[in-house]
Parts: sequence; structure tokens; C-alpha cells
Amino acid sequence: MAFHRPQKVRMFHRLRTFLGSTLGKKVAMSITGLLLVLFLIAHLAGNLLFFKDQDRSAFDHYAQMLEENPLLPLAEIGLLVLFVVHLGLAFLTTRQNREARATRYRVSQALGKRTLGSSTMLITGILVLAFVVVHLLDFRFKERAPDGLGAMLERRLSEPIGAGIYLLGVIALGIHLSHAVRSALRTLGADHPRFNELLQRGALTLAGVLFLGFAAFPLVVVGSRLGSTLASSSADEGAPTTPADPGLAPLPVSADGQGH
Amino acid sequence: MSTPTASATNSRLDAKCPSGPLAERWDKHRFELKLINPANKRKFHVLVVGTGLAGASAASTLADLGYQVSAFCIQDSARRAHSIAAQGGINAAKNYQNDGDSVRRLFYDTIKGGDFRARESNVYRLAQVSGNIIDQCTALGVPFAREYGGLLANRSFGGAQVSRTFYARGQTGQQLLLGAYSALMRQVGSGRVKMFPRHEMLDLVLVEGVARGIVTRDLVSGEIESFAGDAVLLCTGGYGNVFYLSTNAQNCNVTAAWRAHLRGAYFANPCFTQIHPTCIPVSGDHQSKLTLMSESLRNDGRVWVPKAQGDQRPPGQIPEAERDYYLERRYPSFGNLAPRDIASRAAKERCDAGFGVGAGGRAVFLDFGDAIQRDGVEAIRARYGNLFEMYERITAEDPYQQPMRISPAVHYTMGGLWVDYNLESTVPGLFVLGEANFSDHGANRLGASALMQGLADGYFIIPYTLGGHLAGRKLPKVDSSRAEFREAVEAARERTRRWLSIRGKRSVRSFHRELGLTMWDHCGMARTRDGLLAGLAKVTALKDEFHRDLCVQGTSEGLNQSLEHAGRVADFFELGELMIRDALQREESCGGHFREEHQTKDGEARRDDANFCYVAAWERDSAGTGWQMHREALNFENVQLATRSYA
Amino acid sequence: MHLTLHIWRQQNATSAGGFETYRVDDVLPEMSFLEMLDVLNERLTREGREPVAFDHDCREGICGMCSLVINGAPHGPDRATTTCQLHMRRFHDGETIYIEPFRATAFPVLKDLVVDRSAFDRILAAGGFITARTGSPPDANSVPVPKVDADLAMDAAACIGCGACVAACKNAAAMLFVGAKVSHLALLPQGKPERRRRALQMVQQMDAEGFGGCTNERECEAACPKGISVANIARLNREYLWASLADPE
Repeated sequence: MAFHRPQKVRMFHRLRTFLGSTLGKKVAMSITGLLLVLFLIAHLAGNLLFFKDQDRSAFDHYAQMLEENPLLPLAEIGLLVLFVVHLGLAFLTTRQNREARATRYRVSQALGKRTLGSSTMLITGILVLAFVVVHLLDFRFKERAPDGLGAMLERRLSEPIGAGIYLLGVIALGIHLSHAVRSALRTLGADHPRFNELLQRGALTLAGVLFLGFAAFPLVVVGSRLGSTLASSSADEGAPTTPADPGLAPLPVSADGQGH
Repeated sequence: MSTPTASATNSRLDAKCPSGPLAERWDKHRFELKLINPANKRKFHVLVVGTGLAGASAASTLADLGYQVSAFCIQDSARRAHSIAAQGGINAAKNYQNDGDSVRRLFYDTIKGGDFRARESNVYRLAQVSGNIIDQCTALGVPFAREYGGLLANRSFGGAQVSRTFYARGQTGQQLLLGAYSALMRQVGSGRVKMFPRHEMLDLVLVEGVARGIVTRDLVSGEIESFAGDAVLLCTGGYGNVFYLSTNAQNCNVTAAWRAHLRGAYFANPCFTQIHPTCIPVSGDHQSKLTLMSESLRNDGRVWVPKAQGDQRPPGQIPEAERDYYLERRYPSFGNLAPRDIASRAAKERCDAGFGVGAGGRAVFLDFGDAIQRDGVEAIRARYGNLFEMYERITAEDPYQQPMRISPAVHYTMGGLWVDYNLESTVPGLFVLGEANFSDHGANRLGASALMQGLADGYFIIPYTLGGHLAGRKLPKVDSSRAEFREAVEAARERTRRWLSIRGKRSVRSFHRELGLTMWDHCGMARTRDGLLAGLAKVTALKDEFHRDLCVQGTSEGLNQSLEHAGRVADFFELGELMIRDALQREESCGGHFREEHQTKDGEARRDDANFCYVAAWERDSAGTGWQMHREALNFENVQLATRSYA
Repeated sequence: MHLTLHIWRQQNATSAGGFETYRVDDVLPEMSFLEMLDVLNERLTREGREPVAFDHDCREGICGMCSLVINGAPHGPDRATTTCQLHMRRFHDGETIYIEPFRATAFPVLKDLVVDRSAFDRILAAGGFITARTGSPPDANSVPVPKVDADLAMDAAACIGCGACVAACKNAAAMLFVGAKVSHLALLPQGKPERRRRALQMVQQMDAEGFGGCTNERECEAACPKGISVANIARLNREYLWASLADPE
């Protein structure tokens, strides 16, 4: 009988039962997903310092501060766990879902609220995963350039391939989030006739803000590069910039360089 | 047997009604019934056939008491029995409305509604337990309609002047059944009920004259097998589908009851069938079913036809002065809430006289114009929204804009296997509950009383009376290896094979449709001696053709819906014959049985209490070719036999 | 009307199935979809071929026995309508219609268009009830139920258990069905004593039957002939989550 079990065993047993169930898995996915969204919000907020000044010193300073924080490894491990759990459960539930509907219909049509986001969660998830790997290799596991993280980022996003990868990654993330936030909240039981509209809009807005915020990096860098190339070819003066690297194109004076 | 004769023997028809004051009879009887020690209950195995309100409530309650129960249904789940389709509500003498209701009034309304052809003792008991049903259903989670204060709401229904009908929107039957079904599922989960869905009962097995088992066909595998038990409960519903077109579900049939009848259970008052006044009219030959519009609609809808014969104008263009609100005209005190038999017949009278509307002039209007003007569209939508939608879906007409067209349709059968006060048939150990028995509604059932009776039988009556059988009789251990079982299984196999081996040209459905039409024309809402005799000849001839020219494809192994249908229609033929014979012998008009020879000059039914105040219980003769009729006299000690007036 | 039907035919649960094509003439707009199939079956019988097996019973949209996926939509193109209440006036002359059985691993095909939905019964047997011994309940009016709760419970209780939600879901999830039953009983005071146990056991059985998980695409809600809301799924999630956290057993 359950009440004879020691407290700890019971807790473990209960957790296992919970995570063994479809609902428990979805709840765990939702919680990890939402925590990852929280991380994204923080990540974006910090990274926006990139646009604060032209020599990226605020951004570099922020990066340095983070790196010197003794709690960083802990946070990184936490993030890794969230990510792995989210991912692992995604594969488990997908497999289970495929098994539950082994035979497809000859004719099928979507009648409910199926969206691009909802029907591509696994694909966009995998794309985001691939992107995260690239992103970590680019910045987490690469030796820091002497001119700072901001300059590294600028260089990476100036390469057409780099910009392309980052843009694709952000698009995949945006599509993923367009369904993920509201879906996660619903899985956690958030549903009320009076607030459903608000929740739906709020979730979409959040996804949109994250998408636009992260998309701004490749877009701004590429845009400004294009802008200055155009500017330098039309008038031969050259922009008043001090390229740190000879291979790097001249950069615009302001962050909103794409507005040329 | 060319002309029906009625021999009168009462030998086996002891109704076992307790004596004494009406109000104390059930109490007294319960005290006198033998009890079974709780520890011994699990030694008894009860077979329950059918899982509608009666079957599900009986099976779950008996299992809760400790009996071993096996329950059988033909649907894929117990939850789908046709009780689910009842719309309007369930009566109970709670008097929550403080409007003058009481057990005695519900008893009286039911007896009078049944045109004084039901047993006083049974009906009084029904009224007595009606309140407990509401308590039980509420506890099981039935979401009855409520007032803002949280207490239960009531509505009025036909044949009563008090508001005693409890309801769950237009889905009362569904909710009550889901309640009983959930109780049943609880027992299935705990292992005390073994459930056999998609199993059809094909025969009853008697051992030493006592019902001890059934033969079933597994509708998926086609396997025919038998089950042994200590009692058999038939909760298999009514036989309205003998008319082919009825409000019954497609799979409703008489086979289980009929097989029991052939094994010795008397069939009582088969001619008492109820025609419901408010159904969606027939639209063509393809039609497979008629859809009921709840009687509750008559609370707000007004029934009328044009005053001019053959008036083809759209209803909106017929001015008030040229409309005949015939129910309000003929029955001023009950008006549109006149009982079903009366409302149906009044509609037929108008249509026959040439005032009907719609295709073929077979319908009348049910008009919500006044109610919408009085209460607003929203109020009407809240009350009847789902029914209006259903109407629009079927007819493509909007009842908010124009009146509904409605016409009478077969809905319920008051007749059924004869049972005594214990709900036991003339075969010892065979109990019959719900619509399958004949007991409580006499010649006409009042609205919202079928649900009440089904649940009363299952929740509150059989749990007591079954004990009397189990404790009172010696029941030697039997199992399905006995000869009686093997023979019955073989006979059922043989019968099933027969339908496949005829290899004729006509489909089962075509036979069923023709039988139904014949029954409707000759033994429907109005009957005459000549018409009945002609009908009898037609049914017999058609039955012969059926056995000669039936065509069933497929095999007996595995799922074969035509084969299932064939067996059921074969039994309907025999039942149809008996219904006509019963209608012939009853030379009076009462309730749903209207003999044109017996009417007043105003066209009202004329009962003959001097000669026909009895239950006609038919016994199949031993040769299997005809029937012998037995009479159970009905004694009314507590109500005055009166002309039933709703004027 | 003339129609071309592609119907899934399958002899039994173990055999392989496939589509067969039939032309049906003499279809009238006022026929129901099942009556149209009756017409086909009558003809097949006359021609010496086996009729198409399909589940049906009340033919008035309440028993939940009928099923069918019609051109990719469970119960066909009309919202809040069962197949038996679907009328042929919804289709046009010369139309081609694909008729398939409900598809889910938990709903194996028994024959042609007939599937086995007994998984639903087993889920309900696991906990979809209120334990109330016959005869023991108090007077029905002794426990007032706020009208709002009673109405919400009724909305959920309108479920007919047809399985269209499962058929419509790409994951064959039974969440709407289970959510409706859990909601119906949890909303009523009578159902509260067992609410945790009920949620835990029904979900456990739902998983054991092999239904998938919910991805909140709301296909079930769109297919439901009784318009059961996905709010019931959210309520099931809350009930289950809370029961998992708080259940003392």
C-alpha cells in the first residue's frame, strides 16, 4: 500500500508516474519550454546592448560581467537540463503520437485551429536545436577574439552564410513560439472564457517580439553592410569608421543603418 | 386460427399484488420478501440483457448488492441504448413547485393517462419511488436543470396540470442513461459486472421450467454461445420498430422478448402502441427513421391547421382568423398539452378531413410565433435551441421564422411481456423491466414517465423482488454444458443459417419496410375490424414471402448486419400478427388503441369497462401456430373508473 | 443526384483493407448520409454483393454509434452534426466522396467502416463515475448547485462518446472525451470527493489504451458533433496536475 512507502520513494514513484503519462510529459514540456522562453527574454534583453553603442563596449562589458559571475556554470547546466528534457520529451511524445495514429487518412483536412506553427513543431524544434549547436560553437566554445564578443558577433553576421543561418534559426524559433507559448499555457490549464483572447494575443505578441528582437541582429548587421557598400560605391568618401579587421567591411554610424 | 378467439383462463396469471391500503402495499411486500445473506449474494449469477435505463440501473444496483452480474447489449457500448434519445424529462412527485403535486396525484395522472388499463398497485409504487430516482440520479452526477438559487427546476408535460418534470436540457434520457451507465461502468471496473457489448440474445434457456440462461450471438465474431445464471432480466426495450418507421433506434427489436415469449412468457396487450404527436413528417420512401420533437415543445408551441380545406398558402400568409387551433378548441383545459394519444388522434382527424398541411397533407403546424413574441427569441432559444436546430437540419426550414410541420409517429409500446408485481414473467426466474414489460402505462403512457419507469424498475424494484426468487426457489447449479443449453444453441445456429440459405431476391429492409407500412395502415392510429383482418392476411402472406424470397449476403461468421436484421424482422412478423389479433379482440377504444367502431359522436375514444377492463396476456400455443389469450382482470379500488376527459 | 463513393472495405480486423469505388444514383437531397448508404447497400444486396458495414443506431444524433470520416472530416462537413444527421443536400450532384473509418490505433477496424471503441468504456470504468450506492443519496435539493456550474457540467456532459475527437486528432488523442467526463463530474459538488482519483485513473487508462497526446490544435473541438469545448481539456490538465501534486495516496 502506498502509505507504507517511505516518503522519498513515494515522491519518486509519483514523479515517475507523472512523467510516464502523456499529460505529465506535456506538462513537463510546457514548463521547460516556458522557462526556455524566459531565458530567451533575458537573453534578448541583454543582447540588445549590442545596439547601444557603436564600439559594442556596453555589450562586451555585459558579456564580461556574465562570464565573471560564478553562478554562470550553474545557469548553463540548468539551461542544458531544460533543453535536454524539453527535447527528450518532444521525441518521446512524438513517437507515442505517431504510434497512436499509425494509419493516415486518404483524404485529410484541417478543420480546427491548425497553424503553420502547430503543424511543424517537431521540424522547427529540430531546426532550433541545430541552430543552437551552431550558435554555441560560434560563441560559447570558440576562443574569444581580442577585440571582444561584439566584434565576433558582427563578423559572424557579416558573412552571408552566417547571417543566413542566424536568420533561419530565428525564423524557426519564431514559428515554434507562435504555437508554443499559448499551447504550453493551455497544457498547464490556462483557459478562461474571459482571458482566452488576451492569452492568445499575449502569447503571439511575445513570440513576435522575440522573433523581431533576435531577427534584428542579422538584419541590422547585413543591412548596414549592404547600406555602406552601396554608400561607398556611389560616393567614394568612405564612412568614418575604423575597421578593426582588414577583412571586415566598413560599418554604418548608427545601429539603424538599414534605414538608408 | 382464422378468426381470433379469446379463451379466458387465469390459471398462471397471479399478479401477486399485495393487499391492504394502497400506500402501504410496497412497504408490506418488501417486508414479506425473503432476504439473502450478503455473503450468499455473490453465489448468485444474474444475466441482464439490455443496458438502457432499466438494464444499466438494475445491473449496477445488483452488483453493488453483491450479486455476480453479466450484462449484454447489442450496441458497441452500454451507453448507446435507446433510452439515450429521450428528450423531454422525467416525472417525480417531489412537489418542489408547491403546486399541488403528491404521490397520489402522480399515481392518479398515470392511471388516468393510461386510460384505466394499468394495475393500481404497480402504478402507485412507481409514483412512490419516483422521488428516490431524482435523488439517485442527482447523486450520480446527472446535471439536471437548475434555478439560479441552485435548486432543481421543473417543467410541465402533457397529461398533467402540475410541473413535476425534471429535465437536462433536451437530453434528459441521455443524461439519465449516462448516470446509470457510469454506475454500471464502476461495477465493470471493480469486476462485479462482466460486460458483453455487441452481443444479441437469440434465445432463453429453461431448465426444469425456470429461466436459467440465454443464448447469444457475438455480433463481431458471429459465434453463438450460451450463458448460464440464476435469473434472467430482460431490459430490452419496446417493439415500435415493427412499424419500420418509428422514433426508435434502428437496432431496437423484439427478438429477446419474442424468444422469451416462445419459451413460455406471456405477451400482454401487444396492441397498445403509442403514437407521438410531434414528430418530423416523412419526406420520402428512402426514410429510415422518424425524428421526435420533444413534447415539451407543446408548452410554448400552438398546434393549428388552416380552417379551409387544402389551404396551400404558406403559414405566414394565413391570418389568425383563418387558423384552427384545434387542440385548444377541443380540449380547453389542457389545450396544447393534451396527452399524446389524444393529440395524435386529433391531428389525424384534421388530416383525414383534408385540413393537413405539407406534402400529402399529413402534417399540422406547431407554431412558436406567439411564444417568440411574448418571451423573445432568446428565451425560446434557451428552452428549445437544440430541438430547433435538429428540426432545421432535417427539414432545412427555420422554425424561428415559420411554424414547424409535425405529424404523429410511432414512439413507444405500452404492451410487452406480462409481469407480476415482482416484475417476474410467467416463466419463473425471468424478470422483465422497463419498456419491455407491459406493467405501468396501461393503454397510453404519459410524457416523461418512461424514464421514470425504467429507473424505478432497475434501481428500486428488482433489487428487492429478485431476492424473492433467489431465496424462495431451489436453484440447482447448472452450467451451459447441459442438454437444454446445447439444444438452444443449436436451434439458434440453425435459425441463423436459415436466413442465409433462402437465397431469394428481396432484401431484409424491403420486407421490413413493407411490414411496417402494413402495420401502420391496418394497426396504426385508428383500427377497424375489417382493416385489421385485411392487415392480418397481408402480414401472413408477407411472412410467407419472407421465408421464401429473403436475400441475405455474406456469411454467419463475423459481422453481418443484414443477417442480424433478418432475425429481428422474422420475429417482427410474428409479433405483428399477434398485435393485430390483440387489436381485434379488444372491442373498445382506450388510450393508444382506437377502434373506429367504438367512438363517441365527437370522435373521442369509448372505453368498455364492463367487458374489457382486463389485461390481455397471450400464450403461444404448444403447436407454435397460434395463441391462447388469458385475462388478468384489473380491479380499481382506489380510483373511480371515469371517462377520460381533458376538455 | 449522382455520386461517386470511395469506401474503405475490410473483411475483418486482421485482413488488409482498401478502397472500392461505387457509383450511386437516385440520391435525394433530403436523404440523410446513412440513408444514402442504405440505398447503396440495397443495391449491393440485389447484385449479390456484401453490403457495406457501418455503425449506426438512433439516427437522431444522440447515441454516438455512427462514425465515418467523410472527405477527411469526422461526421462530415457540417459543424456540430453527426453523420446520421448530415443530409445529402450538403453535397452537390456529381460529387466524389471518400468514406473512411475512424482511424486510431486504439480504435481498431472490425469490418469496413466499423471500429472498436471499447477503449472509451474502459476509460470510464477506470474512474468516470461518482460512487453512489443506490438508495443512499440525500434529497436531490439538499445540495444546491450554482446554475452556472450545472450549465457548464451539462455542456461537458453532452458528449456522446462517438470518438470523432480521436478520429480528428493527428495524434489520436482522447483528451476531449476524457476532459469532458472529468469536467462534467468535477464541476458538480457530488463529483468532488472523487475528483483527484478520477483524473489520475482515467488518464492512466487513457494512456494504457494507446491514445496520443494533445498538441492543442483543436481539431477535436472542430469535429465534435456536440460542440464540446477544449476548455474541458484545459480543465482536465488542471485536475490532473493538481491531483498529481496533491493526492495523498
